[in-house]
Amino acid sequence: MKVDWEHIDIRELAAIVSEKLSENGIDAVLVGGACVSIYTKNKYLSSDLDFVTHAAIKEVAAAMSDLGFERKNSRHFIRKDCHFFIEFIAPPAAIGDEPIKNLNKLKTKFGKIILLTPTDTVKDRLAAYYHWNDPQALGQAIMVARGQKVNISEIKRWSAKEGHKEKCKAFLNRANFV
Amino acid sequence: MLEALFGNNTVEKILFTLLVYGEGYALGMAKTFKAPVNRIQQQLKRLENGGIVSSRLIGKVRIYTFNPRYPFLKELQAFLIKAYEFIPERDKETYYRKRTRPRRAGKPL
Repeated sequence: MKVDWEHIDIRELAAIVSEKLSENGIDAVLVGGACVSIYTKNKYLSSDLDFVTHAAIKEVAAAMSDLGFERKNSRHFIRKDCHFFIEFIAPPAAIGDEPIKNLNKLKTKFGKIILLTPTDTVKDRLAAYYHWNDPQALGQAIMVARGQKVNISEIKRWSAKEGHKEKCKAFLNRANFV
Repeated sequence: MLEALFGNNTVEKILFTLLVYGEGYALGMAKTFKAPVNRIQQQLKRLENGGIVSSRLIGKVRIYTFNPRYPFLKELQAFLIKAYEFIPERDKETYYRKRTRPRRAGKPL
């Protein structure tokens, strides 16, 4: 399949990268803003794709070079004609101090994407809001929560464990869950 | 003291600095420990790539803290607190008890 790298959309790119990694025996989970883009149908558009993998970065680099992506520095990869950049984050895949237990699988015409569930995507964004007061992350959490089916009681439980009950209330209010 | 575990003693010093002061920057740590700044920067970068520390730019200075999203942070800090007890008193005085309260601009030392 011919790829239009200049106009590729984030979901297609995530699928192409995931498939290539999988072909090379590398398991990787898409996390971060790219999940927000996918779940909000690009209402929020991330400019990077963050994957978590336990594979060695050298193995990842070999697979990525098959796609024409070169290693820019330590864990970042770019391709000149593609406006997204790709980062491989150090494992483990976690939200707060809890490992991620459930993952979502999306099938696309370019292949399968393994990514955070909508609920974990909301928690992931809320973690940035809780710890760094990042208003953009709060906005993204709200967008996902409004557009996808999420487990509110799980979000409340996790927020309390993280010590951020009050900020969770603010999130629920703004997302119209209260 | 923890060189065998962390691979070098620069990482140990960085982690104790962040534990004691809550934050730090490469040049400040380099001056404190009389170490080359690039050595400190290299290790900070390694720790940041590993998700253990995070950084933000304030003006022209990159300030590092423990990454609150690091999943083993509580355990790492508990370990460092324990290890800190074993640092010689003289080293604690030299490296980890610097003045952190504010000093008004222009006030003579």
